[in-house]
Amino acid sequence: MSPGVRRFDVAVVGGGSAGLAAAITAARSGARTLLIERHGFTGGMGTASLVHSFCGLYLLRDEPGAVLANPGFSAEIAERMIAATGIGPLRVGRVDVLPQHPVDFVRIADEMIAAEPTLELMLHAEASAVERDAEGWLLKIASRSGAVEIFASTLVDASGDAMVAAWLGEGFTMAAATQLQRPAYVFGVHNPSVMGDAMRLRTSGLLVEGVRSGIIPSTALGLSFRESGRLGEIFGTIDLTGGDTAGDFDPLDPVCLGKLEVEGRRIAATTVEWLAGRDDTWKGSYISHWPVRAGIRESRRWLGEAVLTGADVLAGKRFEDEIALATWPMEFRENAKGPKLRFPENNRPCGIPAGCLKPRGMDRLFVGGRCISADHDAQASIRVMGTCFATGEAAGKMAVDALG
Amino acid sequence: MGTRIALFARMDSSKQMSPNPTELIDWMNGEGLLELDWDFPEDGDLFAAGLDSMAVMQLVVAVEDEYGVELGPDDLTRENLATPTTLAKLIAGKSS
Repeated sequence: MSPGVRRFDVAVVGGGSAGLAAAITAARSGARTLLIERHGFTGGMGTASLVHSFCGLYLLRDEPGAVLANPGFSAEIAERMIAATGIGPLRVGRVDVLPQHPVDFVRIADEMIAAEPTLELMLHAEASAVERDAEGWLLKIASRSGAVEIFASTLVDASGDAMVAAWLGEGFTMAAATQLQRPAYVFGVHNPSVMGDAMRLRTSGLLVEGVRSGIIPSTALGLSFRESGRLGEIFGTIDLTGGDTAGDFDPLDPVCLGKLEVEGRRIAATTVEWLAGRDDTWKGSYISHWPVRAGIRESRRWLGEAVLTGADVLAGKRFEDEIALATWPMEFRENAKGPKLRFPENNRPCGIPAGCLKPRGMDRLFVGGRCISADHDAQASIRVMGTCFATGEAAGKMAVDALG
Repeated sequence: MGTRIALFARMDSSKQMSPNPTELIDWMNGEGLLELDWDFPEDGDLFAAGLDSMAVMQLVVAVEDEYGVELGPDDLTRENLATPTTLAKLIAGKSS
Protein backbone atom coordinates (compact mmCIF):
# COMPACT_ATOMS: atom_id res chain seq x y z
CA MET A 1 0.00 0.00 0.00
CA SER A 2 1.46 3.37 -0.93
CA PRO A 3 1.89 5.79 2.00
CA GLY A 4 -0.55 8.36 0.59
CA VAL A 5 -3.53 6.06 0.74
CA ARG A 6 -6.24 7.34 3.09
CA ARG A 7 -7.49 4.85 5.65
CA PHE A 8 -11.05 4.30 6.83
CA ASP A 9 -12.61 1.79 9.19
CA VAL A 10 -15.63 1.22 6.98
CA ALA A 11 -16.24 2.03 3.31
CA VAL A 12 -19.75 1.84 1.89
CA VAL A 13 -20.19 1.39 -1.86
CA GLY A 14 -23.40 3.12 -2.99
CA GLY A 15 -25.50 5.77 -1.25
CA GLY A 16 -29.01 4.48 -1.89
CA SER A 17 -31.40 3.61 0.91
CA ALA A 18 -29.20 0.73 2.14
CA GLY A 19 -25.86 2.55 1.80
CA LEU A 20 -27.20 5.60 3.57
CA ALA A 21 -28.40 3.45 6.46
CA ALA A 22 -25.14 1.49 6.59
CA ALA A 23 -22.87 4.55 6.53
CA ILE A 24 -24.81 6.56 9.11
CA THR A 25 -25.10 3.53 11.41
CA ALA A 26 -21.37 2.80 11.17
CA ALA A 27 -20.45 6.45 11.75
CA ARG A 28 -22.72 6.69 14.79
CA SER A 29 -20.58 4.04 16.49
CA GLY A 30 -17.55 6.30 15.96
CA ALA A 31 -16.08 4.38 13.01
CA ARG A 32 -14.28 6.48 10.40
CA THR A 33 -16.62 5.87 7.50
CA LEU A 34 -16.54 6.70 3.79
CA LEU A 35 -19.74 6.72 1.71
CA ILE A 36 -19.20 6.63 -2.05
CA GLU A 37 -22.07 7.68 -4.31
CA ARG A 38 -22.11 8.21 -8.08
CA HIS A 39 -24.77 10.94 -8.16
CA GLY A 40 -24.80 14.45 -6.67
CA PHE A 41 -27.04 13.33 -3.80
CA THR A 42 -27.81 10.16 -1.91
CA GLY A 43 -31.08 8.24 -1.78
CA GLY A 44 -30.78 6.15 -4.97
CA MET A 45 -34.11 4.78 -6.11
CA GLY A 46 -35.97 7.14 -3.76
CA THR A 47 -34.30 10.27 -5.17
CA ALA A 48 -32.51 9.74 -8.51
CA SER A 49 -35.24 7.37 -9.78
CA LEU A 50 -38.16 9.31 -8.23
CA VAL A 51 -39.68 6.22 -6.57
CA HIS A 52 -42.13 8.01 -4.29
CA SER A 53 -43.31 5.36 -1.82
CA PHE A 54 -41.43 3.67 0.99
CA CYS A 55 -42.68 0.09 0.82
CA GLY A 56 -41.84 -2.57 3.39
CA LEU A 57 -41.81 -0.23 6.40
CA TYR A 58 -44.96 -1.67 7.94
CA LEU A 59 -46.29 -5.05 9.01
CA LEU A 60 -49.05 -6.68 6.95
CA ARG A 61 -52.29 -6.70 8.89
CA ASP A 62 -56.02 -6.88 8.29
CA GLU A 63 -56.80 -4.39 11.04
CA PRO A 64 -56.61 -0.69 10.16
CA GLY A 65 -53.55 1.29 11.21
CA ALA A 66 -49.91 0.99 10.11
CA VAL A 67 -47.40 -0.66 12.48
CA LEU A 68 -43.66 -0.31 11.84
CA ALA A 69 -41.91 -3.63 11.21
CA ASN A 70 -38.34 -2.64 12.09
CA PRO A 71 -37.15 -0.25 14.78
CA GLY A 72 -34.01 1.84 14.27
CA PHE A 73 -33.08 3.52 11.02
CA SER A 74 -36.31 2.64 9.12
CA ALA A 75 -38.43 4.08 11.91
CA GLU A 76 -36.24 7.19 12.08
CA ILE A 77 -36.51 7.84 8.32
CA ALA A 78 -40.28 7.30 8.45
CA GLU A 79 -40.63 9.81 11.27
CA ARG A 80 -38.50 12.41 9.48
CA MET A 81 -40.36 11.92 6.20
CA ILE A 82 -43.78 12.28 7.84
CA ALA A 83 -42.57 15.49 9.50
CA ALA A 84 -41.35 16.83 6.13
CA THR A 85 -44.37 15.96 3.97
CA GLY A 86 -47.14 16.04 6.56
CA ILE A 87 -48.43 12.79 5.03
CA GLY A 88 -48.70 9.57 7.03
CA PRO A 89 -48.91 5.94 5.96
CA LEU A 90 -51.58 4.96 3.45
CA ARG A 91 -53.43 1.63 3.05
CA VAL A 92 -53.34 0.62 -0.61
CA GLY A 93 -55.22 -2.64 -1.21
CA ARG A 94 -53.77 -4.90 1.53
CA VAL A 95 -50.50 -3.05 2.19
CA ASP A 96 -49.47 0.07 4.08
CA VAL A 97 -47.01 2.36 2.31
CA LEU A 98 -45.48 5.70 3.25
CA PRO A 99 -45.71 8.25 0.43
CA GLN A 100 -42.34 9.99 0.27
CA HIS A 101 -41.10 12.95 -1.73
CA PRO A 102 -37.71 12.62 -3.46
CA VAL A 103 -36.92 16.31 -2.86
CA ASP A 104 -37.50 15.91 0.88
CA PHE A 105 -35.57 12.64 0.93
CA VAL A 106 -32.45 14.36 -0.46
CA ARG A 107 -32.60 17.03 2.26
CA ILE A 108 -33.26 14.53 5.05
CA ALA A 109 -30.28 12.46 3.91
CA ASP A 110 -28.06 15.59 3.67
CA GLU A 111 -28.93 16.54 7.23
CA MET A 112 -28.43 13.08 8.67
CA ILE A 113 -25.04 12.74 6.98
CA ALA A 114 -23.92 16.22 8.07
CA ALA A 115 -24.71 15.32 11.68
CA GLU A 116 -22.03 12.59 11.71
CA PRO A 117 -18.51 14.00 12.20
CA THR A 118 -16.82 10.66 11.43
CA LEU A 119 -18.69 10.19 8.14
CA GLU A 120 -17.12 11.42 4.92
CA LEU A 121 -19.41 11.71 1.92
CA MET A 122 -17.84 11.35 -1.51
CA LEU A 123 -20.39 12.28 -4.19
CA HIS A 124 -19.76 12.17 -7.95
CA ALA A 125 -17.49 9.17 -7.54
CA GLU A 126 -17.71 5.50 -8.38
CA ALA A 127 -15.67 2.71 -6.92
CA SER A 128 -14.32 0.73 -9.85
CA ALA A 129 -12.14 -2.07 -8.47
CA VAL A 130 -11.36 -3.78 -5.21
CA GLU A 131 -8.39 -5.74 -3.94
CA ARG A 132 -8.14 -7.76 -0.76
CA ASP A 133 -5.08 -7.43 1.46
CA ALA A 134 -4.31 -8.99 4.84
CA GLU A 135 -5.98 -6.25 6.90
CA GLY A 136 -8.87 -5.22 4.71
CA TRP A 137 -9.70 -3.82 1.31
CA LEU A 138 -8.06 -1.51 -1.20
CA LEU A 139 -10.68 0.30 -3.20
CA LYS A 140 -10.11 2.17 -6.47
CA ILE A 141 -12.41 5.14 -6.88
CA ALA A 142 -12.89 7.01 -10.14
CA SER A 143 -14.08 10.58 -10.45
CA ARG A 144 -13.53 13.57 -12.74
CA SER A 145 -10.39 14.39 -10.73
CA GLY A 146 -8.92 11.03 -11.73
CA ALA A 147 -8.52 7.78 -9.86
CA VAL A 148 -7.75 7.52 -6.16
CA GLU A 149 -7.17 4.53 -3.94
CA ILE A 150 -8.39 4.22 -0.35
CA PHE A 151 -8.07 1.54 2.29
CA ALA A 152 -10.97 0.30 4.43
CA SER A 153 -10.81 -2.34 7.16
CA THR A 154 -14.33 -3.48 6.33
CA LEU A 155 -16.47 -2.99 3.28
CA VAL A 156 -20.24 -2.76 2.78
CA ASP A 157 -21.61 -3.47 -0.70
CA ALA A 158 -24.77 -1.40 -0.95
CA SER A 159 -24.42 -0.91 -4.71
CA GLY A 160 -27.71 -2.67 -5.51
CA ASP A 161 -25.91 -4.52 -8.31
CA ALA A 162 -23.46 -6.55 -6.17
CA MET A 163 -20.63 -4.54 -7.73
CA VAL A 164 -18.01 -5.84 -5.28
CA ALA A 165 -18.83 -9.40 -6.37
CA ALA A 166 -18.57 -8.32 -10.00
CA TRP A 167 -15.09 -6.86 -9.39
CA LEU A 168 -14.00 -9.98 -7.54
CA GLY A 169 -15.45 -12.07 -10.35
CA GLU A 170 -17.24 -14.47 -8.02
CA GLY A 171 -19.92 -14.94 -5.41
CA PHE A 172 -23.02 -13.77 -7.27
CA THR A 173 -25.87 -14.99 -9.41
CA MET A 174 -28.46 -13.35 -11.64
CA ALA A 175 -31.82 -14.41 -13.04
CA ALA A 176 -32.30 -15.01 -16.77
CA ALA A 177 -33.16 -11.93 -18.83
CA THR A 178 -36.75 -13.09 -19.36
CA GLN A 179 -37.29 -13.56 -15.62
CA LEU A 180 -35.64 -10.38 -14.24
CA GLN A 181 -37.97 -7.81 -12.71
CA ARG A 182 -38.67 -5.00 -15.15
CA PRO A 183 -37.44 -1.46 -14.34
CA ALA A 184 -39.72 1.46 -13.50
CA TYR A 185 -39.48 4.82 -15.24
CA VAL A 186 -40.88 7.58 -13.01
CA PHE A 187 -41.29 11.21 -14.12
CA GLY A 188 -42.77 14.38 -12.66
CA VAL A 189 -45.82 16.02 -14.19
CA HIS A 190 -47.28 19.44 -13.54
CA ASN A 191 -51.06 19.06 -13.42
CA PRO A 192 -53.32 21.90 -12.26
CA SER A 193 -56.17 19.47 -11.35
CA VAL A 194 -56.21 17.60 -8.10
CA MET A 195 -55.56 13.95 -8.89
CA GLY A 196 -57.97 11.79 -6.98
CA ASP A 197 -59.55 8.37 -7.40
CA ALA A 198 -62.08 9.59 -9.95
CA MET A 199 -59.43 11.18 -12.15
CA ARG A 200 -57.19 8.14 -11.86
CA LEU A 201 -59.96 5.82 -13.11
CA ARG A 202 -60.99 8.27 -15.81
CA THR A 203 -57.36 8.44 -16.92
CA SER A 204 -57.31 4.64 -17.31
CA GLY A 205 -60.24 4.99 -19.73
CA LEU A 206 -58.53 7.83 -21.57
CA LEU A 207 -55.33 5.84 -22.02
CA VAL A 208 -57.19 2.84 -23.45
CA GLU A 209 -59.06 5.22 -25.75
CA GLY A 210 -55.78 6.77 -26.91
CA VAL A 211 -54.26 3.35 -27.60
CA ARG A 212 -57.44 2.19 -29.35
CA SER A 213 -57.30 5.17 -31.68
CA GLY A 214 -53.62 4.53 -32.41
CA ILE A 215 -52.46 7.96 -31.19
CA ILE A 216 -50.42 6.82 -28.20
CA PRO A 217 -48.29 3.67 -28.08
CA SER A 218 -49.81 0.51 -26.59
CA THR A 219 -47.05 0.55 -23.96
CA ALA A 220 -48.92 3.52 -22.41
CA LEU A 221 -51.17 0.86 -20.86
CA GLY A 222 -48.26 0.28 -18.47
CA LEU A 223 -48.60 3.84 -17.14
CA SER A 224 -50.00 4.88 -13.79
CA PHE A 225 -50.24 8.28 -12.11
CA ARG A 226 -50.28 9.33 -8.48
CA GLU A 227 -50.39 12.68 -6.70
CA SER A 228 -47.01 13.68 -5.22
CA GLY A 229 -48.51 15.30 -2.14
CA ARG A 230 -47.57 18.74 -3.45
CA LEU A 231 -50.21 20.90 -5.08
CA GLY A 232 -50.17 20.70 -8.88
CA GLU A 233 -47.61 17.89 -9.03
CA ILE A 234 -48.12 14.23 -9.87
CA PHE A 235 -45.78 11.37 -10.67
CA GLY A 236 -46.20 9.10 -13.66
CA THR A 237 -44.75 5.59 -13.58
CA ILE A 238 -44.17 3.24 -16.51
CA ASP A 239 -43.03 -0.33 -16.17
CA LEU A 240 -40.57 -0.68 -19.02
CA THR A 241 -40.95 -3.90 -20.96
CA GLY A 242 -37.26 -4.58 -21.32
CA GLY A 243 -36.72 -3.94 -24.99
CA ASP A 244 -37.91 -5.36 -28.28
CA THR A 245 -37.32 -8.89 -27.17
CA ALA A 246 -37.47 -9.73 -23.48
CA GLY A 247 -34.44 -12.01 -23.85
CA ASP A 248 -32.18 -9.03 -24.59
CA PHE A 249 -32.94 -7.19 -21.37
CA ASP A 250 -29.80 -6.42 -19.36
CA PRO A 251 -30.17 -3.81 -16.59
CA LEU A 252 -26.35 -3.70 -16.22
CA ASP A 253 -25.64 -2.83 -19.84
CA PRO A 254 -25.55 0.96 -20.24
CA VAL A 255 -26.62 0.85 -23.90
CA CYS A 256 -29.60 -1.39 -23.15
CA LEU A 257 -30.62 0.68 -20.14
CA GLY A 258 -30.24 3.94 -22.06
CA LYS A 259 -32.46 2.69 -24.87
CA LEU A 260 -35.15 1.73 -22.38
CA GLU A 261 -34.98 5.18 -20.80
CA VAL A 262 -35.31 6.90 -24.18
CA GLU A 263 -38.34 4.71 -24.87
CA GLY A 264 -39.79 5.58 -21.44
CA ARG A 265 -39.51 9.30 -22.24
CA ARG A 266 -41.11 8.80 -25.65
CA ILE A 267 -44.12 7.01 -24.14
CA ALA A 268 -44.46 9.55 -21.33
CA ALA A 269 -44.16 12.64 -23.53
CA THR A 270 -46.56 11.38 -26.22
CA THR A 271 -49.11 10.33 -23.62
CA VAL A 272 -49.08 13.45 -21.44
CA GLU A 273 -49.27 15.70 -24.48
CA TRP A 274 -52.27 13.74 -25.77
CA LEU A 275 -54.02 13.73 -22.39
CA ALA A 276 -53.55 17.50 -22.03
CA GLY A 277 -55.35 18.08 -25.32
CA ARG A 278 -58.01 15.40 -24.86
CA ASP A 279 -59.56 15.95 -21.44
CA ASP A 280 -60.37 18.82 -19.10
CA THR A 281 -58.85 17.01 -16.10
CA TRP A 282 -55.48 17.08 -17.91
CA LYS A 283 -55.68 20.58 -19.38
CA GLY A 284 -52.50 22.61 -18.78
CA SER A 285 -50.42 19.53 -17.88
CA TYR A 286 -46.82 19.03 -18.91
CA ILE A 287 -43.87 16.89 -17.89
CA SER A 288 -41.87 18.89 -15.37
CA HIS A 289 -38.88 16.59 -14.80
CA TRP A 290 -37.22 13.34 -15.77
CA PRO A 291 -35.50 10.95 -13.39
CA VAL A 292 -31.70 10.79 -13.30
CA ARG A 293 -32.06 7.10 -14.12
CA ALA A 294 -34.65 4.34 -14.48
CA GLY A 295 -35.49 2.45 -11.29
CA ILE A 296 -33.81 -0.94 -11.47
CA ARG A 297 -35.57 -3.58 -9.38
CA GLU A 298 -33.27 -6.56 -9.82
CA SER A 299 -29.85 -7.41 -11.19
CA ARG A 300 -26.99 -9.39 -9.57
CA ARG A 301 -27.62 -11.05 -6.20
CA TRP A 302 -24.87 -12.05 -3.75
CA LEU A 303 -24.48 -15.69 -2.72
CA GLY A 304 -24.27 -15.54 1.05
CA GLU A 305 -23.84 -17.90 3.96
CA ALA A 306 -27.65 -18.06 3.96
CA VAL A 307 -30.01 -17.68 1.00
CA LEU A 308 -33.52 -16.41 1.71
CA THR A 309 -36.09 -18.20 -0.46
CA GLY A 310 -39.55 -17.44 -1.76
CA ALA A 311 -40.84 -20.36 0.33
CA ASP A 312 -39.39 -18.68 3.46
CA VAL A 313 -41.23 -15.45 2.63
CA LEU A 314 -44.55 -17.21 1.94
CA ALA A 315 -44.32 -19.18 5.18
CA GLY A 316 -43.18 -16.18 7.21
CA LYS A 317 -40.16 -18.14 8.43
CA ARG A 318 -38.24 -16.78 11.42
CA PHE A 319 -34.53 -17.23 12.20
CA GLU A 320 -32.53 -17.10 15.43
CA ASP A 321 -29.96 -14.77 13.91
CA GLU A 322 -32.44 -12.60 11.97
CA ILE A 323 -31.41 -8.97 11.60
CA ALA A 324 -34.65 -7.51 10.21
CA LEU A 325 -38.15 -8.41 9.11
CA ALA A 326 -39.30 -8.49 5.50
CA THR A 327 -42.98 -7.60 5.26
CA TRP A 328 -43.56 -6.66 1.64
CA PRO A 329 -45.42 -9.30 -0.39
CA MET A 330 -43.39 -10.78 -3.23
CA GLU A 331 -44.13 -8.30 -5.99
CA PHE A 332 -43.46 -9.71 -9.44
CA ARG A 333 -43.04 -7.33 -12.33
CA GLU A 334 -41.59 -9.68 -14.88
CA ASN A 335 -43.62 -8.04 -17.64
CA ALA A 336 -45.23 -4.63 -18.08
CA LYS A 337 -48.74 -5.81 -17.20
CA GLY A 338 -48.66 -4.50 -13.66
CA PRO A 339 -47.57 -6.21 -10.47
CA LYS A 340 -48.52 -9.70 -9.37
CA LEU A 341 -48.43 -9.93 -5.60
CA ARG A 342 -47.86 -13.10 -3.56
CA PHE A 343 -48.80 -12.64 0.08
CA PRO A 344 -47.41 -14.71 2.97
CA GLU A 345 -49.62 -16.98 5.06
CA ASN A 346 -51.60 -15.08 7.67
CA ASN A 347 -49.74 -11.81 6.94
CA ARG A 348 -46.64 -13.21 8.66
CA PRO A 349 -43.39 -11.24 8.41
CA CYS A 350 -40.29 -13.15 7.34
CA GLY A 351 -36.99 -12.91 9.19
CA ILE A 352 -33.84 -12.07 7.24
CA PRO A 353 -30.96 -14.09 8.71
CA ALA A 354 -27.57 -12.43 9.22
CA GLY A 355 -26.06 -14.96 6.78
CA CYS A 356 -27.87 -13.23 3.89
CA LEU A 357 -25.62 -10.21 4.51
CA LYS A 358 -22.38 -12.24 4.64
CA PRO A 359 -20.89 -13.29 1.30
CA ARG A 360 -19.77 -16.92 1.37
CA GLY A 361 -16.15 -17.48 2.30
CA MET A 362 -15.24 -13.79 2.69
CA ASP A 363 -14.67 -11.87 5.87
CA ARG A 364 -14.74 -8.11 6.46
CA LEU A 365 -17.36 -7.80 3.73
CA PHE A 366 -21.10 -7.28 4.21
CA VAL A 367 -24.06 -6.58 1.96
CA GLY A 368 -27.13 -4.43 2.39
CA GLY A 369 -30.05 -3.58 0.13
CA ARG A 370 -31.61 -5.31 -2.84
CA CYS A 371 -28.58 -7.47 -3.70
CA ILE A 372 -28.38 -9.39 -0.40
CA SER A 373 -28.36 -13.17 -0.67
CA ALA A 374 -31.90 -14.19 -1.65
CA ASP A 375 -33.37 -16.19 -4.51
CA HIS A 376 -35.24 -14.44 -7.32
CA ASP A 377 -38.61 -14.88 -5.59
CA ALA A 378 -37.54 -13.66 -2.15
CA GLN A 379 -35.72 -10.73 -3.78
CA ALA A 380 -39.15 -9.57 -5.00
CA SER A 381 -39.97 -8.92 -1.32
CA ILE A 382 -36.69 -7.72 0.21
CA ARG A 383 -35.81 -5.25 -2.58
CA VAL A 384 -38.12 -2.44 -1.38
CA MET A 385 -36.67 0.67 0.30
CA GLY A 386 -38.29 0.10 3.70
CA THR A 387 -36.50 -3.25 3.95
CA CYS A 388 -33.28 -1.89 2.40
CA PHE A 389 -33.02 0.68 5.22
CA ALA A 390 -33.13 -2.22 7.69
CA THR A 391 -30.65 -4.51 5.91
CA GLY A 392 -28.34 -1.55 5.29
CA GLU A 393 -28.43 -0.63 8.96
CA ALA A 394 -27.62 -4.23 9.91
CA ALA A 395 -24.74 -4.35 7.40
CA GLY A 396 -23.33 -1.14 8.92
CA LYS A 397 -23.48 -2.66 12.43
CA MET A 398 -21.87 -5.90 11.26
CA ALA A 399 -19.09 -3.96 9.53
CA VAL A 400 -18.31 -2.14 12.79
CA ASP A 401 -18.46 -5.35 14.86
CA ALA A 402 -15.97 -6.96 12.48
CA LEU A 403 -13.43 -4.20 13.26
CA GLY A 404 -12.84 -5.94 16.60
CA MET B 1 -50.45 -7.58 -24.19
CA GLY B 2 -49.38 -6.89 -27.75
CA THR B 3 -51.53 -9.67 -29.20
CA ARG B 4 -54.52 -8.37 -27.34
CA ILE B 5 -54.13 -4.88 -28.77
CA ALA B 6 -54.09 -6.35 -32.25
CA LEU B 7 -57.54 -7.78 -31.58
CA PHE B 8 -58.98 -4.41 -30.68
CA ALA B 9 -61.05 -3.33 -33.63
CA ARG B 10 -61.90 -6.78 -34.88
CA MET B 11 -65.54 -7.64 -34.43
CA ASP B 12 -66.14 -11.34 -34.44
CA SER B 13 -69.12 -13.53 -33.80
CA SER B 14 -67.43 -15.37 -30.95
CA LYS B 15 -68.13 -12.57 -28.42
CA GLN B 16 -69.75 -13.84 -25.27
CA MET B 17 -73.14 -12.80 -23.94
CA SER B 18 -73.16 -10.36 -21.04
CA PRO B 19 -71.87 -12.19 -17.98
CA ASN B 20 -73.57 -12.57 -14.63
CA PRO B 21 -71.50 -11.52 -11.57
CA THR B 22 -70.31 -15.06 -10.77
CA GLU B 23 -69.20 -15.69 -14.34
CA LEU B 24 -67.39 -12.36 -14.20
CA ILE B 25 -65.45 -13.44 -11.10
CA ASP B 26 -64.35 -16.69 -12.77
CA TRP B 27 -63.46 -14.86 -15.96
CA MET B 28 -61.36 -12.19 -14.17
CA ASN B 29 -59.46 -14.92 -12.35
CA GLY B 30 -58.96 -16.85 -15.57
CA GLU B 31 -57.65 -13.77 -17.37
CA GLY B 32 -55.26 -13.05 -14.50
CA LEU B 33 -56.81 -9.58 -14.08
CA LEU B 34 -57.32 -10.11 -10.35
CA GLU B 35 -56.82 -12.98 -7.98
CA LEU B 36 -60.15 -13.39 -6.25
CA ASP B 37 -60.93 -16.13 -3.75
CA TRP B 38 -63.25 -18.90 -4.99
CA ASP B 39 -65.91 -17.61 -2.60
CA PHE B 40 -65.44 -13.91 -3.43
CA PRO B 41 -68.92 -12.38 -2.96
CA GLU B 42 -70.86 -10.85 -5.85
CA ASP B 43 -70.97 -7.58 -3.95
CA GLY B 44 -67.33 -7.84 -2.74
CA ASP B 45 -65.07 -4.77 -3.00
CA LEU B 46 -62.97 -5.09 -6.17
CA PHE B 47 -60.78 -2.13 -5.25
CA ALA B 48 -59.86 -3.72 -1.93
CA ALA B 49 -59.12 -6.90 -3.89
CA GLY B 50 -56.43 -5.09 -5.87
CA LEU B 51 -58.23 -3.37 -8.75
CA ASP B 52 -55.92 -0.43 -9.41
CA SER B 53 -55.63 1.95 -12.36
CA MET B 54 -53.41 -0.45 -14.31
CA ALA B 55 -55.71 -3.41 -13.69
CA VAL B 56 -58.62 -1.23 -14.84
CA MET B 57 -56.89 -0.64 -18.18
CA GLN B 58 -56.37 -4.36 -18.66
CA LEU B 59 -59.97 -4.96 -17.66
CA VAL B 60 -61.24 -2.50 -20.29
CA VAL B 61 -59.12 -4.14 -22.98
CA ALA B 62 -60.20 -7.66 -21.91
CA VAL B 63 -63.89 -6.71 -21.69
CA GLU B 64 -63.81 -5.44 -25.24
CA ASP B 65 -62.06 -8.58 -26.38
CA GLU B 66 -64.42 -10.97 -24.59
CA TYR B 67 -67.78 -9.20 -24.64
CA GLY B 68 -67.41 -6.79 -27.55
CA VAL B 69 -68.17 -3.82 -25.31
CA GLU B 70 -66.16 -0.58 -25.40
CA LEU B 71 -65.89 1.07 -21.99
CA GLY B 72 -64.94 4.75 -22.18
CA PRO B 73 -63.58 7.29 -19.66
CA ASP B 74 -67.08 8.26 -18.52
CA ASP B 75 -67.95 4.64 -17.68
CA LEU B 76 -64.98 4.15 -15.38
CA THR B 77 -66.35 5.49 -12.12
CA ARG B 78 -65.84 4.03 -8.67
CA GLU B 79 -69.56 3.17 -8.53
CA ASN B 80 -69.52 1.21 -11.81
CA LEU B 81 -66.38 -0.76 -10.94
CA ALA B 82 -67.11 -1.28 -7.24
CA THR B 83 -68.22 -4.94 -7.28
CA PRO B 84 -68.76 -7.87 -9.68
CA THR B 85 -72.49 -6.99 -9.58
CA THR B 86 -72.04 -3.34 -10.62
CA LEU B 87 -69.47 -4.31 -13.26
CA ALA B 88 -71.83 -6.93 -14.75
CA LYS B 89 -74.55 -4.29 -14.86
CA LEU B 90 -72.23 -1.86 -16.65
CA ILE B 91 -71.31 -4.45 -19.29
CA ALA B 92 -74.94 -5.52 -19.76
CA GLY B 93 -76.04 -1.89 -20.13
CA LYS B 94 -73.41 -1.30 -22.80
CA SER B 95 -74.15 -4.39 -24.83
CA SER B 96 -77.87 -3.81 -25.23
